[in-house]
Amino acid sequence: MLKIENLRVKLAQEDKLILDGVSLEVPKGQVHAIMGPNGSGKSTLAYVLSGRDGYQVTDGSILWNGDNLLALEPDERAAKGVFLAFQYPMEIPGVATMTFLRTAVNSLRKQRGEKEFTTPEFLKRARAEAARLGMPDDMLKRPLNVGFSGGEKKRMEILQMAMLEPTLCVMDETDSGLDIDAVRVVSEGVNHLRSKDRAMLIITHYQRLLNYIIPDRVHVMAAGKIQKSGGKELALELEKTGYAEFQSRAA
Amino acid sequence: MTVAITRTKAEQGFTQNFEAAAAQLPGGPGVAAARRAAIGAFAALGLPHRRLEAWKYTDLRAALKEALPVAVGAVRALPTRAQIDTALEGFAELDAHRVVFVDGVYAQGLSAQATLAGLRFAPLAERLAKPEGAAEDRLAAATEQDAVAALNTAFMTDGAVIDIARGAKLAKPLLLLFIRSAGEARLLTTRNLVSIGANAHATVIEAHLTLPGTAAGQSNALSELAIGEGAQLAHVKLTLAGQAESHLATWRLTLAAGATYRAFQFTAATGLVRNGVDLRFAGEGAKADVSGCFLGRGSEHIDTTLVIDHALPGCESRELFKGVLADKARGVFQGKVIVRPDAQKTDGKQMAQVLMLSEDAEFDSKPELEINADDVVCGHGSTSAEIDKDLLFYFRARGIAAEAARALLIESFIGEAIDKVAEALRPALMAAARRRLAQLST
Repeated sequence: MLKIENLRVKLAQEDKLILDGVSLEVPKGQVHAIMGPNGSGKSTLAYVLSGRDGYQVTDGSILWNGDNLLALEPDERAAKGVFLAFQYPMEIPGVATMTFLRTAVNSLRKQRGEKEFTTPEFLKRARAEAARLGMPDDMLKRPLNVGFSGGEKKRMEILQMAMLEPTLCVMDETDSGLDIDAVRVVSEGVNHLRSKDRAMLIITHYQRLLNYIIPDRVHVMAAGKIQKSGGKELALELEKTGYAEFQSRAA
Repeated sequence: MTVAITRTKAEQGFTQNFEAAAAQLPGGPGVAAARRAAIGAFAALGLPHRRLEAWKYTDLRAALKEALPVAVGAVRALPTRAQIDTALEGFAELDAHRVVFVDGVYAQGLSAQATLAGLRFAPLAERLAKPEGAAEDRLAAATEQDAVAALNTAFMTDGAVIDIARGAKLAKPLLLLFIRSAGEARLLTTRNLVSIGANAHATVIEAHLTLPGTAAGQSNALSELAIGEGAQLAHVKLTLAGQAESHLATWRLTLAAGATYRAFQFTAATGLVRNGVDLRFAGEGAKADVSGCFLGRGSEHIDTTLVIDHALPGCESRELFKGVLADKARGVFQGKVIVRPDAQKTDGKQMAQVLMLSEDAEFDSKPELEINADDVVCGHGSTSAEIDKDLLFYFRARGIAAEAARALLIESFIGEAIDKVAEALRPALMAAARRRLAQLST
């Protein structure tokens, strides 16, 4: 279970709080969505969960299966099962996708006390997952994300998620920049990974993605706080009413 | 009026050492005269210093404290093949035609015994000794406005004279090995004269290395290459890890019409290294790519200075240099591209990029375009940066520990340059780079 309590976060160089007392629980086996307007702090929450530099936690805690994530480095969090699907995946010229994936997978397996994959084992798995996401083999040979379209980059994130076998999946605006077919493919990839041992947190601005990935709970975030929580129907409500109510309430 | 020129200890030392060694240096009277003229030219020029534009960031006059004694005469004890292979690291496995020089002298016993179809080789010392002196003409043709080249002519002990026959396609790469072996600190001076016949295809690898336990010395290596019409030459220079006080290398190249030249310089030596490349397009429609990678740490100084002279129309030049600098290492890149008035349709692109692993490292970059034609496409760029924190986070978020992530990012950075080399050489180059990078403090 992911347990966030009264989390307050500011940028390291500024005083303004971006997260102003976020509390949230996501049990294993569930998919929760966080929806909210731009600037509400959604992406900051994703980054703070995964351990990015540049933020200062002034109060509160994040526990994942009882481990204090805030005390861990990003790679240690990954070893504990945390995975962030980036809103803007980086391009890494000079590192073949396959090399990157294999380094990451085996690094995690080692940290988790599992046997590292041999090259043939790894290739077999990578090809199977790529095929599921409709990605041609030659994409795996190209430098990571270089020259990939927006949709290809997001698929690559989901491919990584499948390969790294995380238990806490945080997806930051995974649907942004995708056409409807790509949303469907990516959603199928995510749904395939739903399991009783996995918690998922989907951050999105629009309701559209939630037509394909049906959440167990929906939280509305504005002005650095969870303003309202509800079932999947809350997303549909928001699609009609917009975020104005929460923004004015926060102001 | 006479002006008294003050000479440094090193400058005086070179002149004195020449007098001491002159009688033992190879060659007939013609060569001896050329040597004497060259040391005279050096005495007038002195060591290059920072007020000369081409040496702005590498002040040899200040850096060279003394002139080391000249390595001349027979080598006392040759290293074994196994010792050489160990020092060559991954390159030892390369199936190549070896030509080995130890302490500036051709070592026949360590060199390939079989002949290679299309290749004619002679040690320079042998060629210099011949009375008719075909090499002499080529020596005389070199104008000695350049003090480092003048020193080379004065002191050269040996080198490879190579002729690749018209139309020949060498079955193996030619590996020219220049080895500094155990002994006191000395000056090694070698010169290669390479001629690639029209439409010939060849790979020439020039490797400079120092065996373990050898005193840091000075070296001066000059290669002159004439690449014939339509010929294709891949040319690699490896300056591998090993103690060196100073390593001054010069390449002088001419490309005939339609020639294709691909060069790569890998520098991971210690001390002061200067790689000078002087390339002239002497025919239309030729292509040259001169790229490389340098890895510096400690107080090393690695200078790459290129002059690419587009004298004729329709030629293409590409340069990509990547450097990684740690500690107080200093990198220098000077790239001058000259486009002469007649050289229309010139296509030139140049890029120098450095990754700084320390705040005390320094990178001096001076790209220069001198364009005198109007219908050309030329560009250059230069960057120096630290490791991208966002990229580092991306790796770490995928479970890759900081150190491994940094290593992968550095590898990917230089990998772009190493990708310019023929595929067969990439694994050994990357392995050499990795070993070197592991020594760089981060």
